Amino acid sequence: MKAYIKGAAILSPQKTFGEKGFPGEVTDYHGVSYLKCIEPAYRDFIDPMVARRMSRIVKMGVCSALKCMQDSGISMPDAILAGTGLGCLEDTEKFLGSVYTHEEKLLNPTPFIQSTHNTIAGAVALAIKCHNYNATYTHRGFSFESALEDAFLHLEENPELNLLAGAFDELTTNSYNITRRMGLWKNHPVNSADLLNYQTRGSLPGEGVAFFMLGGRKGSDMAVLRSVKTFYKPHGYPEIESIVDQFLRNEGLTPGDIDLVIAGINGDFATDRVYYQLKEGVLGNRPFAWYKHLCGEYDTSSSFALWLASVILKDQHVPDCALLEDIAPVGIERILIYNHLRENNHVLYLTERC
Amino acid sequence: MEQLIAKLKNEIIEVLNLSEMSPTDIDENAPLFVEGLGLDSIDALELIVLLEKNYGLKLGTAEEGKKVLRSVRSMAEFITENKKG
Repeated sequence: MKAYIKGAAILSPQKTFGEKGFPGEVTDYHGVSYLKCIEPAYRDFIDPMVARRMSRIVKMGVCSALKCMQDSGISMPDAILAGTGLGCLEDTEKFLGSVYTHEEKLLNPTPFIQSTHNTIAGAVALAIKCHNYNATYTHRGFSFESALEDAFLHLEENPELNLLAGAFDELTTNSYNITRRMGLWKNHPVNSADLLNYQTRGSLPGEGVAFFMLGGRKGSDMAVLRSVKTFYKPHGYPEIESIVDQFLRNEGLTPGDIDLVIAGINGDFATDRVYYQLKEGVLGNRPFAWYKHLCGEYDTSSSFALWLASVILKDQHVPDCALLEDIAPVGIERILIYNHLRENNHVLYLTERC
Repeated sequence: MEQLIAKLKNEIIEVLNLSEMSPTDIDENAPLFVEGLGLDSIDALELIVLLEKNYGLKLGTAEEGKKVLRSVRSMAEFITENKKG
């Protein structure tokens, strides 16, 4: 079953919101520890009296979802499917902080209500009065992919459906400080464009929100999502290579049919090794692109890669800043996305030109 | 009383995150719910927490809640009466 991408909206550390394609100007960050999203004018999408109760990530989620619906011309999706690794962190921290400070008494209700992982999918449904299927998946690096799997199952049953599928994850100061102590991030300031030059452990944390309108019938679409595969903690490179090879075979393809690989290279020289091994191995000679210097690392960052693949397939152009080497493919029919989160959650997407 | 009303308005703006409003936008005699500020049941909970946290006052019954949370002035009167008592 194919999922046609009828529209997409993304909020990221780049000026991607409201753009029909890749933004003309890339925002490079200098001497930073993390990347934060560039936020839109919320009042264009959400009534200020409603927005006042929403945290930053909820506002970003609702804005992206509404913008995606607007751009795809579908005002009422048949289902809302979301994926998030860590949920609405800011409100969770506020609520837990209040529990601690006030010794479990006098707790404000709003942060508690808004701290649940399904807040955004619920807020979108409330905003458009959508009583249809509504689900949020939380499986760390497989969260967005679980939402997509659900979308595929829906479309298998009924290709006429229009499904709003999205992903969101936010970075807060607290979460950054905790995960930095776990050694996940670089322990020195970073220039985002130079992320691959440091040869040190750790990556650059980021955040993002993306929504896609998916349908089972061909129309005027951005791209097609043909298949998604997840695999957990593979035993070394040979197994990864074999899974990638089998994934392509299952689709009746060989590596030579792939015009571009978008890899989840994140600047951690140890965990990036597998991408280069694939590049030298089974995916040898295919042009490679990367994206985490644009959005940072987060649990649902593959949603940024899916958006990037969609705009590349639609516009038939790979932004220079995304190319790993100076080899730009022409006539881009198929893009393979391969990403892993800390070598645990590995995902493969196959996208195709419409 | 007027001083307390001004203080309450600022606290309400902060706790309900009415960042678009200033104290002068709030009519202390106007209903807080449905009309006036157009607050809802979650806001009512926030105001109950505000009274307890900032003034050490608890509302006994739902009926009392309706009366006390009618307007900023009624809240200020409740605080003044109970502080005096």
